[in-house]
Amino acid sequence: MIRHMRLIGCFVQASLQEEAAYPANYWVGLAHSLLNLVTGVLGIAVLFGQVETVRGWDFAATLALLGVYLTAGALRGLFIGPSLDALAGMDGEVWSGRLDFTLLRPVDIQFLASFRRWRALALFDVLLGAGILVVAVTQMQAALGPDRLAAFLVALAAGTVILYALLLAGAALVFWSPGTLFTWIFDGLFQLARYPLGLYPGWLRLVLTWIVPVGVITTIPAEALAGTLSPGALAGSAGLAAVLFVAASALFRQAVRRYEGASS
Amino acid sequence: MNHRGGLALIIATWSSWLQYRGFFFLLAFGWMIPPLIYLLVWSTAAGERAVAGLGRDDLITYYLVLILVNQLTYAQANWTVGDLIHDGRMNVLLLRPIPPLYDAIASEVAGKVVYLAFDLPVVALLAVLLRPEVRIVPQAVLPFALALVLAWALRFFWGYWLALLAFWTTRSSALLAAQDALVFLLAGLVAPMALLPAWLRGAATLLPFRYMVGFPVEVLTGQVTGAAVAQGFALQAGWLLVALALSAAAWRAGLRHYTAVGG
Repeated sequence: MIRHMRLIGCFVQASLQEEAAYPANYWVGLAHSLLNLVTGVLGIAVLFGQVETVRGWDFAATLALLGVYLTAGALRGLFIGPSLDALAGMDGEVWSGRLDFTLLRPVDIQFLASFRRWRALALFDVLLGAGILVVAVTQMQAALGPDRLAAFLVALAAGTVILYALLLAGAALVFWSPGTLFTWIFDGLFQLARYPLGLYPGWLRLVLTWIVPVGVITTIPAEALAGTLSPGALAGSAGLAAVLFVAASALFRQAVRRYEGASS
Repeated sequence: MNHRGGLALIIATWSSWLQYRGFFFLLAFGWMIPPLIYLLVWSTAAGERAVAGLGRDDLITYYLVLILVNQLTYAQANWTVGDLIHDGRMNVLLLRPIPPLYDAIASEVAGKVVYLAFDLPVVALLAVLLRPEVRIVPQAVLPFALALVLAWALRFFWGYWLALLAFWTTRSSALLAAQDALVFLLAGLVAPMALLPAWLRGAATLLPFRYMVGFPVEVLTGQVTGAAVAQGFALQAGWLLVALALSAAAWRAGLRHYTAVGG
């Protein structure tokens, strides 16, 4: 465990040094994050400028959901996305055959594949997401008690694990069909998590809950914050996170076993 | 100008793109999602009672048309122009006896066909699933077609002059991303013009972005009528002239400034 923590420290340091070589990227990245935030908030403001509530969701609760969406996306951008992309993205190691060298390293491959690349700029996105969450809480009618905060943190952690498991499964599938851009399909579906599941028609709600559970990632924590979440749903999302994590890890191990090298 | 060569290039690009249709279908899928989200959100919001005079059926019709118009006018070629300049691959294009603009237009034409092959069935399926009651008057079709062509030209040349700034800066793709955000807010994607707050609607009416996507859709669905249509066409044509002039100026000045790197 201590060794793994120390390794993560090394990965973070190496990534930071690599990024520091491109200072202009910071400004472009910051501008990009701010644009993403502004369009997200204005989208909600326009909607609730016309209606008071939609299917039980008011401005504050929907804003909280946007905060969860941005935070989850930022955690993905911080390390899950860059690390898995280096493995299974376009021109990734599975595709190019450089995975040979990665596999030879004396560390667990899933650990290495999940933590080795970091993007410091995403910390700014985490702050923006947290800021939106704070603003949303101040807009809510009832004050935030410790029980709701605890439920929110559990739901957020479960959501992040679900996000990680889905991305890991996507990376594993690339071993079977290299060049398929599973993350692109996922990105499209993940955008739907910007708005509460309840705003979508029934068939889409089923897809986003049970088939590709991206809706669970944002809706459950936002409901926890707004105090409308049932204990059963919270337990359900934690259970789903555990099941998906185990299943995705097993799939990933199976996938790595299939790997045969691609270079000459 | 070598138009026959240009035509041959368009056909060649189109044939080569059809070989990668899976990849392009994925791109089209990604671009379709934002308008689709707002279609579903607004039609739910208007499910009980009309929002600012627009009912559920109006909103669904508006967004189904908008998905197609957004794809038809999306100038995805502009993203590659900047790369061509950075990588020095522009050299090859400059040596050809055809203006490099043809290269961008060739991938535009090829793209439209491939993307529509994905979008049309999906929109048809959504129409069957959501069953909106469509109210489109036949007289609106001709003005719509004109507005659509102008919208494509405006969006293409507006993006083209931004992309040509790659002659001076390595960050022109950031400008294109900013342009996409403005289109999202002001061109009728986040909400039809009628639903925007007054200050945003004022800005949207004057700025060029509405005339790249939203305006043709409003013309077809009857959300804009009478003198407002004429005013819209005037602004659309005016902005198109500005975009053409800026593209020509950026091209001429940029070419003089251009020195290739690498090779």
